[in-house]
Amino acid sequence: MSPETLVAAVFTLAIFSFLYRENPIYRAAEHILVGISVGYYLVILVEETILSKVVNPLFYDGRMLSLIPAILGIMMFSRLSRKSGWLARIPLAVLIGAGAGVSIPAMLQARILKQMSASMLPLNSIGAVVMLVGVISSLAYFYFSREKSGLFGGVARVGTYFLMVFFGATFGYTVMSRVTLLIGRMEFLMSDFLGLVK
Amino acid sequence: MDLSRLDRRIIFLLMGLAIAIPMLFNVTLPVNVEKDTLAVYDKIEMIEESEYVMVSFDFEASSFPEMRPLAVAILNHLFERNIKVIGLALFSEGTALGFTTISDIAEKHGKKYGIDYIYLGFRPQYISAILGMGESIARVFPEDYLKKQWQEYPLFSGLENYDNAGLVISVSDGSLPIHWAEYANARYGVEIGVACAAVMVTAFKPYFNSGQLIGPVAGVKGAAEYEKLLGRQGAAQRRLFTQSSAHILIIVLVLGANLAAYMRRKR
Repeated sequence: MSPETLVAAVFTLAIFSFLYRENPIYRAAEHILVGISVGYYLVILVEETILSKVVNPLFYDGRMLSLIPAILGIMMFSRLSRKSGWLARIPLAVLIGAGAGVSIPAMLQARILKQMSASMLPLNSIGAVVMLVGVISSLAYFYFSREKSGLFGGVARVGTYFLMVFFGATFGYTVMSRVTLLIGRMEFLMSDFLGLVK
Repeated sequence: MDLSRLDRRIIFLLMGLAIAIPMLFNVTLPVNVEKDTLAVYDKIEMIEESEYVMVSFDFEASSFPEMRPLAVAILNHLFERNIKVIGLALFSEGTALGFTTISDIAEKHGKKYGIDYIYLGFRPQYISAILGMGESIARVFPEDYLKKQWQEYPLFSGLENYDNAGLVISVSDGSLPIHWAEYANARYGVEIGVACAAVMVTAFKPYFNSGQLIGPVAGVKGAAEYEKLLGRQGAAQRRLFTQSSAHILIIVLVLGANLAAYMRRKR
């Protein structure tokens, strides 16, 4: 058995020990995981952001324009000071402005226009009718400017059934996903660690 | 027996047994291929050998057991068809896992780095990365994961942007495929195939129905379906029996608990 398999198995069992009760071994494994994750993210982000976007362009490629985002980035840290905290508003304004400019047209196209056109189907099948009823009744449920009573209340109630079907399907898929993760760990323990399964 | 007072550790133990015992038996359940999985398979079948396919490893280490069979099935198909593969990662944790996976599968097919596939590595800020690659992949990824100028590989030197990619496949455990649909599909018209964690299927469904995304090959079942289409028995098909056993236990527990609650209320 390789040392990495042994380490992975010990940590897997340490995390599983929480299922019995909270204990120091579980806590140690959890803290080590968090520490390693932060270290990993830090190394990747320093390399992929600070080195590749600031240091290399400025000092090796002579691209002085990289100074602008670098200075804006540094200005973000001014929030740590009460006196000069207002400076952070400038990079935030750039971030929000550019973000909105990039995202709004894309979202309008992908999330609203395309979805609306996909919902407007000829009513020549049961599926299309169900979709029409589902869309209208679900939208009625989320319309909060009118009391849900009478015909409107009835339509909104139908919407809740569609939502419940959605939540049920999502729950089923979630169970499937989480069980797969457990199977993955058990498979590792039983094959790589214990050698019970080939 | 009042199930509401059942010690939760007994449920954990039952779940452990429901998974461990079937694992000891090498049982393969029959698999029916659904149209969602077939959509991704058919799309890859239509891609010419000279074209490139981008495979984005958009997942974290925690979901690797579910993501690996999906990535392996898709990569097996791409390499079997001699399609040039460009790997990348938009989540930092997926970077090394993606490289290991693509290298393993490429080696099994006798494929060479720089000739049959390259791996670009990770870029932070996925929205800028997705948008940037629509203009110039080289500007977003000047170097590959191995810190080499990837344009020096002759077979990849003509790769400029999504116009050269027959398909982008996002192997994802989160919402990244939606961003691919919003920024790469809507803006640049590139087709996006999805292999995703089962938990994300309902969130993506409207995008598949509207044609913004292709697929999905979802979860271990989707991977098993894909393995069947390829005629290979892999990890996913072996896991289906174990998965079904765990699902049956959950159904029994849910029904039992509801029945117990009903009886208690009746008393």
